Amino acid sequence: MNPLPKNTPGMYRLIVTHYLISGICFAMLALLLLVLSGNFPSHYFAPGTLAITHLAALGWGTLIIFGACYQLLPVLLECDLYSNRLPWVVLSLFLPGLFCLVYSFWVFDPGIHMQAAGVLLTSSVILFCVIVFKTAAKSTIASAHKDFILTSCIWLAATAVLGTLMVFNFKYAFLPKDHLHFLRLHAHMGIAGWFLMLIIGVSAKLIPMFLVSRSQPSKLLSWSFYLINISLLLFMVDGYIHGLNLKTHLVVAMMLCGLTLYLLYIRKCFQSRLKKKLDIPITKTVLSIVFLSLSVLLLPLIVQLSVQQSAWAVKLSSLYGMLIFMGWITALIMGQTFKTLPFIIWVKKYEHLSGKARIPMPADLYHTWLLKVQYFAYISFCAFFFAGFLLSNNVLIIVGAVSIVIAAFSYLGNVIILLTHKTTIQL
Amino acid sequence: MKEFNITNQSSFKELQIIESLRTVLDPELQINVIDMGLIYHIDANPQSDSIKIQMTLSSSHCPMGEAILKSVQNRIETDFPGSEVHVELVWEPQWTYEKITEEGLKQLGR
Repeated sequence: MNPLPKNTPGMYRLIVTHYLISGICFAMLALLLLVLSGNFPSHYFAPGTLAITHLAALGWGTLIIFGACYQLLPVLLECDLYSNRLPWVVLSLFLPGLFCLVYSFWVFDPGIHMQAAGVLLTSSVILFCVIVFKTAAKSTIASAHKDFILTSCIWLAATAVLGTLMVFNFKYAFLPKDHLHFLRLHAHMGIAGWFLMLIIGVSAKLIPMFLVSRSQPSKLLSWSFYLINISLLLFMVDGYIHGLNLKTHLVVAMMLCGLTLYLLYIRKCFQSRLKKKLDIPITKTVLSIVFLSLSVLLLPLIVQLSVQQSAWAVKLSSLYGMLIFMGWITALIMGQTFKTLPFIIWVKKYEHLSGKARIPMPADLYHTWLLKVQYFAYISFCAFFFAGFLLSNNVLIIVGAVSIVIAAFSYLGNVIILLTHKTTIQL
Repeated sequence: MKEFNITNQSSFKELQIIESLRTVLDPELQINVIDMGLIYHIDANPQSDSIKIQMTLSSSHCPMGEAILKSVQNRIETDFPGSEVHVELVWEPQWTYEKITEEGLKQLGR
């Protein structure tokens, strides 16, 4: 009989700490966006944009993924986590690295703080990869999810190493090509290699689990895995040698095919689901998939405009980045937090009472009205902010930024409500 | 699940146990463990006051697994005080969606 996974008190603290800090990073990110909204930079290679992007990618996206992975890896790989202590080392290297990096981007000081941040973050990421690979080594199952997760870690490590090299390149200028050239490769290793691979791997297991889906065509996932990875490798090699060119269309087409197969898999899960009613967290997950689709549909256009050296290429690239981080990843995290965190809290607070007394269910531990505020504020952000950016209208951008501040603080408030939940039932 | 046998005393107790377990819910789907098809076998011996329940989970390494097992144990111990309760987790036969009852499917919105 397989032993069932059980969170130790240390592991519980570790996981909820990740959720809390990433929620704080989301609030900080929203505030920075509001500060910038009066004069939003149109180019992605600007101090404010770099600070916000790294806060979004690392503090908001990656940190919560790390925390969720410590909880979900045992479920996905059907074995215990390799270590309960190493994740704390990962976090203690990651946090100073993150805040140093964001600050030094914001004030744009490519000196010792930025370099130290790069080294700290890369060390942290490599240790995280050690945890994942050592855990996977204990797992006896072979699945597409496992391939996606392991590959995502390789891409994450590569992203961090290249990012750190670029930080040192600001000072010592040793890289053979210009900075924007490497920035494109760094960004896509992070977006398609780390986030996309990891999210596909995890969502391909969790979405059918939450929806109670009868059909989970894993062949689609396997093809998706190969197409996305091959296209990404081709993009790295061809992009490094030639930059964006007409051949990049073929690479993008391959990536789109891979992504389409993943979307078909998700569609099949939805079609064959036994649970008909969709709750708000799942609706947000659907919304996140819409943003992912919209952003990748921009890719052929961006490639074409870049080849033609049109000024719109930069603007659309910025929009693409925002759709990825503030659309796809943000909607997904906001939705999935309230699918995972309430269960972690519930197990801690109510497992011993379960069956003995009438107790609340996980979904009763957070405020539904606050979840609705967060949902509608987020929709408002998407509508106003993206429209404002496209039309270069600062008023719309400011309204959008205010909306994301409301969404972020209602999200953080609900996370704090969950974390501070107290059991009132006595036996 | 055993068939009800009117001549067998333990059948009555097993029916009571089934009704008791209908109050134990899967925390995510909020369907009780009976309609989820998680309970494979109930053995209630009226002489020895022991209750044996053989059950499964929807997936191995389910993070809520321990909580569901504990709920079953706690519920039966509460409803049948003095009984010796053994809850055994088995993985064979493997749980599939086909094990959800018609009532369970209705609760899922089908």
